[in-house]
Amino acid sequence: MNAAEWEELVSVALVGTDRRPLAGRAGSETEVLARAAVRTLRVRAGRRPVPAGEPPAAAAAEKQPVVPRAAADRLARILGGENPRLLDEWLRAAAERGYRLTPHLLPELLDRAAKDRSIRPQAGVLAGERGRWLARLNPAWEFLLAEATVATVTGLGDGGETWQLGTPGDRRAYLAALRAADPAGARELLAATWEKETPDDREAFLKVLADGLCGDDEPFLEAALDDRRREVRNEAAYLLSRLPESRLGLRMAERAARCLTVADGEIHVDPPASCDAAMERDGIRVKPQYGAGERSWWLQQVVARTPLAVWPRLFGRPPGEIVRMPMADWGKEIVAGWVRAAMVQEDPEWARELFLVDAQANLLAVLPREEQESVAVEFVRRNSGRNARHPHLADHLSGVAAPWGADLSRVVLETILDQCTGQPTWHTTNLINVAGERIDPALCDMAERFSPEPHIQEIAALLRFRNNMVKELQ
Amino acid sequence: MIERWNRDQVLALAPDASSQKAAQGVSAPGKWSGTGVTDDALWGECKGSGSKPYRACVDLSEPAYRCTCPSRKFPCKHALGLLLLWSAGGVPEAGEPADWVGEWLDGRRDRAAKAVTRAPKGEAGPADARRAAQREQRVTAGLADLERWLGDQIRQGIAGSRRHDQWDDLAKRLIDAQAPGVAGAVSRLGSALDGDDWPGRLLSEYSLLYLLCVAHRTLPERASEAEAAAGAGAAAGAVAGGGGAPAGLLERVRDRIGFSVTKEEVLAGQTVRDLWDVLGRRDETHDRLIARRVWLRGRSSGRAALVLSFAPTGQALDASLVTGTTVDADLAFYPGSTPLRAVVAARHDAVPAGPPPGVSVDRALEEVAGALAGDPWLDSWPVVLEGVVPAGGDLRLLAGASGALPFHPSVQTSWRLVATSGGHPLTVAAEWTPRGLRPLTTWDEEGRVIIL
Repeated sequence: MNAAEWEELVSVALVGTDRRPLAGRAGSETEVLARAAVRTLRVRAGRRPVPAGEPPAAAAAEKQPVVPRAAADRLARILGGENPRLLDEWLRAAAERGYRLTPHLLPELLDRAAKDRSIRPQAGVLAGERGRWLARLNPAWEFLLAEATVATVTGLGDGGETWQLGTPGDRRAYLAALRAADPAGARELLAATWEKETPDDREAFLKVLADGLCGDDEPFLEAALDDRRREVRNEAAYLLSRLPESRLGLRMAERAARCLTVADGEIHVDPPASCDAAMERDGIRVKPQYGAGERSWWLQQVVARTPLAVWPRLFGRPPGEIVRMPMADWGKEIVAGWVRAAMVQEDPEWARELFLVDAQANLLAVLPREEQESVAVEFVRRNSGRNARHPHLADHLSGVAAPWGADLSRVVLETILDQCTGQPTWHTTNLINVAGERIDPALCDMAERFSPEPHIQEIAALLRFRNNMVKELQ
Repeated sequence: MIERWNRDQVLALAPDASSQKAAQGVSAPGKWSGTGVTDDALWGECKGSGSKPYRACVDLSEPAYRCTCPSRKFPCKHALGLLLLWSAGGVPEAGEPADWVGEWLDGRRDRAAKAVTRAPKGEAGPADARRAAQREQRVTAGLADLERWLGDQIRQGIAGSRRHDQWDDLAKRLIDAQAPGVAGAVSRLGSALDGDDWPGRLLSEYSLLYLLCVAHRTLPERASEAEAAAGAGAAAGAVAGGGGAPAGLLERVRDRIGFSVTKEEVLAGQTVRDLWDVLGRRDETHDRLIARRVWLRGRSSGRAALVLSFAPTGQALDASLVTGTTVDADLAFYPGSTPLRAVVAARHDAVPAGPPPGVSVDRALEEVAGALAGDPWLDSWPVVLEGVVPAGGDLRLLAGASGALPFHPSVQTSWRLVATSGGHPLTVAAEWTPRGLRPLTTWDEEGRVIIL
């Protein structure tokens, strides 16, 4: 029976043999069913393979070592929902060592990276050749092709060729490596092709200059303030506000001086009345965020972009006194501006003084590493007594770089032990999470012996999980 | 020593998604004490909300599970959590099982021994014979009704059939006629209605039901003729068209109609000992009842087997066959031509797993054709394809040297399979269905089992 006969049977069955008997036969309904049964079985039993077309060319041979089996199994556990917050740490540790992922785990990782940009650089390394092969087959994973591969992340590779022919990610990685080795050379390389780069690339490449930023970059960045793309202008303004001697810094200092004056030991504030084109060019955003008032918003930005060295000259006192000076009005905006300036300009002296006024995690991050922990230990001691519970301790401590040393770890564990009599509050739960993720995993034995209390043991278990995770990736 | 199962293999044993999640919550080493593993037993004590810890243990050779927690899920989250911990290498090896574990294991083995020696049921009494005769009559009447109904459909035309509830009455009548197998087939007809080609597919389904009615009506007579012919020295089997002896085909027909054979009867028959590769499984929910199909293939016999189990939603399903493992076992097959459904009669020691041997695309199709010859109503069959690559525009083909087999229309591109292959040939276990393959399992270059 050929296809036409089958079509005929189907159309007879559709209309019904009452109206359209099979080949003029009365009572032909059983004949239709019998022939259909034969045909159905012939088709099922006689099926031939279909033409496959051109299958995709095989993926190229891998150049990186595959992650050890135990490590891959642990990643599967994390992706499956066990300690999901450790995904980032696992990916970073594995990518730093130049591993590639076991192929069957790639779809899950790439799906995650499609939704979460922050893990794409790690995915770029871990994907290996197989991941890039997959990304060419599945449009949802195309982003991967723009990420840097392991070759460019770990070294300068073949130099000029990468810069001319590489993916955006490879070129960015190349520029970053060159910037680390030869800052001026990297800037000149970028300046030479600047006009021809796409807006996305200009933005990404400009960010690379943050590393090794110095006064020599100023003319290039000042010119970028007139770029066609807003994100590029903003990035240039941001970088210039990190250079205290820049023309932008001087312009901001003038604006700040017009807004803030001292009389009778008190700071008087007169926020900008308008945001002119020159201010906008220097990166001040006109539209306020979060429903803030316009003048308050402009004031805060001007203070944040003013070189911190301006204030002692203007007020004739050291930072420690300035941050404690009384202010008639707008005090909140001024302090917020200084905090932002201390972070952007990475000024430890201001950060230290401001932390005592406004204990923000970002300020801790500006301090030298050893000092971060000692300041944090002091802060926890002051804020964790039975009567002085600080609700946002976890937020403040998140500014201390991981891994935390023994002193800070002990104080934090003590605080948790102290707080979790009965049902722990949301704040304590946060602290437990941060402690488990930040304490040096090598301290897991210490944590386990610290107390049999379940929450401490929970932290100890997480530390042990991380400790094993690190070992598996060695 | 049994090879440790991987995480996916363990999670596949969970009765449902919430159990998988709960199991991961109790898989941390900190929750467990007194854990240990021997060649065939795994145990530990898990801290619960009460003062006494729950004691969980797993007989790895079956596997079988036991836990002192009150959960009705099976295996419970503690047993699964313990397996996950073991899977991650977190359980130390021990020489001897703990006392309480040993007791349980001994108890199990005693019960198993008793079950074997238990006397078979007594002979059927006259009341049974009367009931059986009554059922035969009802089934015959029910199938005659169905045959008439099918004829009516074709006379009136099936153009107006695109309604999902139109078979409910018919299915109920067939249940009343004590033909649950056909009733089930009728109530599943709605699945033939999706897609543009539904008239052809519905006609095919109707025609196969018709074939079943005719077979039930005419086969007994032909079977006895064949027996007589065989007695006279003529070649048996010719009557049924080469697809196995008519007696076997008749058993197949009765099975499809719903004359069930008890497990005891099956176990009393012959068994096949082999190294059986557990290829994968598929759960299907129908009318609040979950049917679990576990597909097996014998290494030396090359035989396909299907272990079916049923449970109401939310209750324990058979979790004794772990995908990707190889078990040395005696299987007892249900009778009939193209035997497929089987029960595990006895298990021997665990054996190390590895990719099962596979066949080419052509050979797999030949096998399916052979299986259909013995069972024209067959709608799934396990195949292991060797040297195939994902191909086609949406990578929903498995291509071998002579051509490709497409996936079932409801099966999405398996990126896990594509990633594992990387464009290189691999071994894939799949369920053949008339509409295409459902991939089950593959093995990566290191021989690791990947559940798809």
